This record gives sequence, C-alpha cells and structure tokens, in this order.
Amino acid sequence: MQHTDQDDQLYRLLAAVAMQDRQAFRTLYDATSAQLFGFALRALHRDDLAEEAVRDAFVSIWHAAPGYQMHLAPPLTWMVTIVRNKALHIRRRTHAGAGDGGLDIEAADGLADPSSRPAAPAQLSPDARALARCMETLASRQRQAIGMAYLHGLSHAEVAERLDLPVGTVKTWIRRGLVRLRDCLAQREAS
Amino acid sequence: MILRDLRTLRDSPQLRDRLAAEYALGTLRGGARRRFEAWLRNDPALRGVVAGWHERLAALAELDLPLTPPARVWAAIERRLDPAAIAPRTPWWQFWRSDVARPWGVLALGTSAAWLVLALSKTMPDAAPQTRQIAALSDAQSHTALVVTADTTRGRLDVRVAEEVHVPTDRTLQLWAITRTGRPRSLGILPGNRSTELALDARAIDPDVALLAISLEPKSGSPDPAGPTGPVLYRGSWARL
Repeated sequence: MQHTDQDDQLYRLLAAVAMQDRQAFRTLYDATSAQLFGFALRALHRDDLAEEAVRDAFVSIWHAAPGYQMHLAPPLTWMVTIVRNKALHIRRRTHAGAGDGGLDIEAADGLADPSSRPAAPAQLSPDARALARCMETLASRQRQAIGMAYLHGLSHAEVAERLDLPVGTVKTWIRRGLVRLRDCLAQREAS
Repeated sequence: MILRDLRTLRDSPQLRDRLAAEYALGTLRGGARRRFEAWLRNDPALRGVVAGWHERLAALAELDLPLTPPARVWAAIERRLDPAAIAPRTPWWQFWRSDVARPWGVLALGTSAAWLVLALSKTMPDAAPQTRQIAALSDAQSHTALVVTADTTRGRLDVRVAEEVHVPTDRTLQLWAITRTGRPRSLGILPGNRSTELALDARAIDPDVALLAISLEPKSGSPDPAGPTGPVLYRGSWARL
C-alpha cells in the first residue's frame, strides 16, 4: 500500500513517542483521537465505554510505540487495531457482567447498521468520501455483518443467529463484502 | 492431511486471500485459526496478505464520524502515565539519553568489558593485530537484524541484512555512526536494502562512536545532513575482535 503524508506525519510522531516525548504524544492524540473515538463509539454504542477504549488504547500506544514498525502496518492501521482490541475486551467484560437486566448492547446491534453514525459527506476527507460511495453499493446488511464480526468479535454462526440467517449466507455475504472493500480501496489508490 | 492443506494453501492465491481476510476479521476460529497461525509463522508472504487485510479493515474507521473525545479522556491518559516523565527536548534520535535507553547503559558496560579484554590481550605476547570490529544491530525487541563488520586491513565495511527485513519500496535503510556527544555521521545508504559492502570511513570506527544505528529514510537518504529524519529501526554498538 502507498504511503501518504499523513502516514509520514504519524510515523514521525510515533518515533518521538517511542523516545517518551510527551509533546509528540499530545500532538499524536490531537491528530487521531477524534477518528478513533468515532470508531470506538461505533464498536461500543456508549460514550463512557468508548472513552474507556480510547483511554486504554492511548496508554497502550505510549508503551508499545518503541516496538512499532512501519513496514508491518501503517500508523493509523496500527492504532485502529489497538482501539479495536480494547473495544472487544470491554465488550466481553460488559457482556460477562450484564446478566438479564444489565446492559444490552446486542439489542442495539440488531437494529443498528454498523455505520449507524455515518459521517455527513461534508465531514469526510475526499478520500473517505470516495470509499464511502464505493461501500454504499454494498447491501446494508452485508456491511452490518462485517461490522458485527470486526467490531463486536462475533463468529459467522453468531452473526447468522443475530441476523436470523443461514450461516452459509452470512459467510458468502461477508466474503463478498470484503472483496468489495478491497476493490473500493484499490479504486481509490488508482485514482 | 496438514501437509496437503499446506500445499493447497501455497498453490491457491484465492484461498490464501480468503483465509487471511477471515483471520484479520476474526471469523476464522478454533483449529482452523491455529493451523493458519502455524502457516503464518513460516510464510512471510502470507503475513503480508494478512497485513493488507488489517489495513483494509482499519480503513473502514475513516467512515465513522470523527468526534473529539471529552477533555477528561486525555486527563485520564496523563494520570495513567508517569506524571513526572515530561520528556527533555533532546532530539528524539538521541535515544540513549532517555529512560527507554537503559539497556544501552548495560551494553556500554559490555563494551567497556570488551575493552578490558582487549587491554589484557594487548599485554600478552602474540596478540593478533586488531583489524576487525563487529556490531550486531537489533530492533526494539532485541531481534538482531543486521551485522556490520569493519575490516580495517581491507578498508571495507561489510553490512549483512537478515532475510526477514522488509523495507517499503519507496524507502531506504541508512547507516549511521553516532558519537558519544550525540552527533550522527552518515555511513551511507544500503543499496536495495540488502547486504552490501561499503568503503570504510575512518569516522565509523573512531573511538568516540557510541552506537551504530539504521534509520528508515526516503529513497535518496536522509534529506537532513545533520541526522536521521526517519525513525531508528535498529541499533547496536561495536565489539572489537
């Protein structure tokens, strides 16, 4: 994949963070926390839990920065992956303690499109707009299936159960959705 | 059975891609996931396919509405980190001056010990002439990625790069000698980012050289003659043989 100016900027910041530069860490936070918080909200549907995910992720980023290597993942991919892991961890914990009368994130999942907080087109970068347009050609339930697997850590069978569909159908949907995602991104890189 | 699976996996780009995508998405579970992880360990190209899928899935985060988190989130992060550790404004590549560089203090000690051995060996008759120095350069996890040998007799600097070092095509590895006062000296870029032999610059083995370092730079090398602009990936210090 190509390297962007944003990659370069984040890369330098991460290199400085690896040397325990607090000012660089703050700059990194300012540059990325809104995107990561938006992402965490989609994964967790609750402000307090999303805040916790972002907080834990940045503490991990601070400690893990010396081991970060750009040739393995671009900076934002690395950071999104960390936030996702924190969000999955928080989900597992809240579910374990939820019980019948407790927090029911799942109910929200059943209704919500995974892009239930879509950015207004004007708020997206041109790059993200192109990606959004391309992904719109995907059926919303297909996107939902991918979102449930990626953001909520659900298996094919669990997604199938929640969407009340055969597992085979869910597998096919997810596969087609991922291929579509790849095509959308390739198209964006080519343009 | 597993061998046949493995052969199928090698021969089928579609299958590799499908499994890598499911692995990154998290839907590859149980035995299939464990088998896939075993393949991953021995297949760098497959790791690359997985990395590509991680990147694509992370790109979906761009579609979320960016929303500035409340100020209490940053305050909580700061509380969780050592409150005293506001970094000094030294250039970041002077990493041995910061706390994370503690292991280097130990290494420096190791080097002193090497000097002691050298001093002792010099007092002994028939000590071989000191023509070779060697440095193993490692990443942050202490995995050695490069071995640099200076041959003063031939005036050559031999740089061996480990097989598993992968560099983005638009980047290059640059070798630096960094003095005890923190001044970096470029020793050259590694053509093709593979093993190479460079002319030995006397400044590379000067006794004031504290460390050798490899930074990741734009294709033609660091645009700043005064030092690295990219991050330092590997570092190590000389030992005299």
